[in-house]
Amino acid sequence: MSLIHIENLQKHFRILNRHPGLGGAMRDLFSNDFRSVRAVDGISFDIEPGEIVGYIGPNGAGKSTTIKMMTGILKPTAGKILVNGRPPYENRIRQAQIMGVVFGQRTQLWWDLPVIESFKILKEIYRVDEKTFDAHMSLFNDLVGLSALYSQQARTLSLGQRMLCDITASFLHNPQVVFLDEPTIGLDISIKAKIRSVIKELNQMRQTTIILTTHDLGDVEALCQRIIIIDKGKILYDGGIKKVNALFGAYRTLKLQIDNFGPTTLQTLQDGLAAKFGPENGVTVAETEDLWTDVTIDQARTPLADVLSFVMSSFPVADVRIVEISMEKVVRKVYDGALG
Amino acid sequence: MLSLREYFRLYFIIEAQYIKARMQYRVDFIISSIGMFFSSLATLGVFWVLFNSIPTLAGWTFMEMVFIYAFYMIAISPMQILFDQTWFLRYAVQQGTFLKYYFRPLNMMFYFMSERFDLKGLTQLALGIGLLIYASIQLGIAWSPLRLVLLFATLFGASLVLVSLAVSAGCSAFWITNSFPVLNLAWKLREFSPYPMNIFDGLFRFTFTFILPIGFIAFYPAQLFLRPDQVAPWVYLSPLVGILTFALTYWIWTKGVNGYSGTGS
Amino acid sequence: MRGYLALLRGSITIGLVYRVGFLFTIFGNILYMAVAFFLWQSIYQNTSTIHGLTFNETFIYVALGSTIFVLLKTYADWQIAHEIEDGTISIYLTKPVDYQLYALCLSLGSTLTNLAAITVPVLLMMVLVFRVNFPLGPGLLLFPVSLFMAFLISYFFDYATGLTAFYTESIWGIGTTKDILVSILAGALVPLQFFPDAIQKVLLLLPFQAVYYTPLMMITRPNQDWGTLLGMLGIQAFWTGVLFVATRLFYNQAIKVLRVAGG
Repeated sequence: MSLIHIENLQKHFRILNRHPGLGGAMRDLFSNDFRSVRAVDGISFDIEPGEIVGYIGPNGAGKSTTIKMMTGILKPTAGKILVNGRPPYENRIRQAQIMGVVFGQRTQLWWDLPVIESFKILKEIYRVDEKTFDAHMSLFNDLVGLSALYSQQARTLSLGQRMLCDITASFLHNPQVVFLDEPTIGLDISIKAKIRSVIKELNQMRQTTIILTTHDLGDVEALCQRIIIIDKGKILYDGGIKKVNALFGAYRTLKLQIDNFGPTTLQTLQDGLAAKFGPENGVTVAETEDLWTDVTIDQARTPLADVLSFVMSSFPVADVRIVEISMEKVVRKVYDGALG
Repeated sequence: MLSLREYFRLYFIIEAQYIKARMQYRVDFIISSIGMFFSSLATLGVFWVLFNSIPTLAGWTFMEMVFIYAFYMIAISPMQILFDQTWFLRYAVQQGTFLKYYFRPLNMMFYFMSERFDLKGLTQLALGIGLLIYASIQLGIAWSPLRLVLLFATLFGASLVLVSLAVSAGCSAFWITNSFPVLNLAWKLREFSPYPMNIFDGLFRFTFTFILPIGFIAFYPAQLFLRPDQVAPWVYLSPLVGILTFALTYWIWTKGVNGYSGTGS
Repeated sequence: MRGYLALLRGSITIGLVYRVGFLFTIFGNILYMAVAFFLWQSIYQNTSTIHGLTFNETFIYVALGSTIFVLLKTYADWQIAHEIEDGTISIYLTKPVDYQLYALCLSLGSTLTNLAAITVPVLLMMVLVFRVNFPLGPGLLLFPVSLFMAFLISYFFDYATGLTAFYTESIWGIGTTKDILVSILAGALVPLQFFPDAIQKVLLLLPFQAVYYTPLMMITRPNQDWGTLLGMLGIQAFWTGVLFVATRLFYNQAIKVLRVAGG
């Protein structure tokens, strides 16, 4: 019996078609002109206890909507959803007992209270007995050194410290499933690593199922064995991480700031790359809004170092950055059938 | 799922911590209490000035008005102290932070309201109690155990009426962006509740009795103690009015909560 | 100068966005007047004049008092306090802008918006629904001047209240105390004639009455002689001047806190 069972799940929203101007606003008050938006358009999957699943997709893909249905906030328009054998929206309080949720930037600790008091209150809310509570707190202390933060008010913590506290707090009552939404956003590399290791430890020790939504592919690489990619309300991919890893592991984007960038520069660059590396070189060039030029390179076909030295010797490059491929590009590639 | 006793215990724990944290701001507490002192007594001050020039107002003496006003101050305290978070509902709803209240195995209205405990409201409560005792002595009201029970019951019901009025107005944040004027209007209505209802004629008296029952916040219940032999039997049902209005308010809250989906997709 | 006009225009535009809010405020004001009507009708049940004022005069006084109260409610004190608390005020300190004049423009813009959006509809309702007969007289000509000075004095109180944010974070307590004191001691809720004699004498000497009592008496009893009317304006002008100087001194004092503490 899978922990989360989703079958042909649909969620449609009725959005009012707004008209501009004061006259339009008045008409809208009495309008029946709605359009239906299919935020989630027939998705199905099962998640077994103990899995760590990465639930990824571009903004507006339907990720949050699915999570909100899994956590009982929204009722589905059609289809079936069962968490721990029950529809989540039917008894919110009972379902909340087996779930943990962490929202990204908004803390669920009590803002003005010392951290330890927040944990104590959670102990009361979830009816955790004394012994279990002490055992968990001791465990958290071993994992992340939590006791150093006990007496500090949540409002005085840094973002990284708060996130660690929020994550450990979500495991306090030993839930069956924990939903983590953007747990490492805005954090520096060392804290990210710490957070990822905590999550992995807790999953291994307790077999807690983890559903992770993130834009950070580093999170996905470090934690997930399984990835579900959603876009425009539909599932694009649901499978092991290795396949997708090959996809984004290999890609790197070279961000260039080229002096005297003119209307023909992009074309010249493209032609030059084609001439140097051949027609099927796996290198694409695009201009971005922030005036950098993105050169996306499939390292399996053309080494980054070669492209870099070519560009630097042929164009007046003022600044260079190397970044991993973005989530949006991964999804687009999957869409275009890169995973077959 | 927590029992009622567990909820009380939890509330006590949360608020004890909250108050401890707030007491660091001692100066703010003093200044706010002073502001509360003036604010509570403003209308009473106006009555005092008026009664310098007239012997009775619609048949009521000044001391009787003090009693009604004291009853009013006690009745509005629970709203002030326990439900003050209502004023912040619109921010949580608009910024999406309201979602966090769905994730705990707690009643959402309890969880939301427990985030704020307005200490300055205690000044108003203390003043109200003091004035009630003073006025009872001056008026020679006899307090038997039965009468005390009636007092608590009516105060309980009366406080629910104001809570219902203000929280319902606050719930408008679930549906409209500019909910502050609605809340503000509901709050202003409260100021009329110590006024004697018999100054109003037909339409207004009907509205303040049956539609926006502010008459039950202070005036009608107070009559049970000031003019017990002249009071109509239905006035004894005033605690029920509080319970009914609160039930309606809770229904509105539930509707808002069920329809909310936060921000983002 | 042009900069200040631009600020003024901006302040008025922001106000106009909140149309629904205005409807509620208008409704709230009318409701208050209706309740006041019943209250004072009850008070005047058995007599035709109290302290020399007829029911009609008192009702005009109280109703208009509530309207002026709404008109002058600009939340400038809150806005200034917030700008001090979150540090935005430093922006103005580095520009060639006189902070008091800047805040005055904000306040004036708010008031003018209130005037058009709230006061005018309310006055119309007073005449049409409540059948209020405004007595005529030279006082009506001087009333706008009196009202403008009342606005200035009220603004100075708001400004001073806002400035206390340099010293404390308790803007609610201070603002509320100021609101209550100004409205009661100024005779906004009850004409000063109703106060016991001894208290009345003191209140007439304070600046608060210049915000409500003076302009309200000018419209309630507009047919007094020019000497009296101009005398009333003179007292208002006196207080305007005094408060202007006082608030400027307060500002210079308060700003030192910023310079010393670093904001």
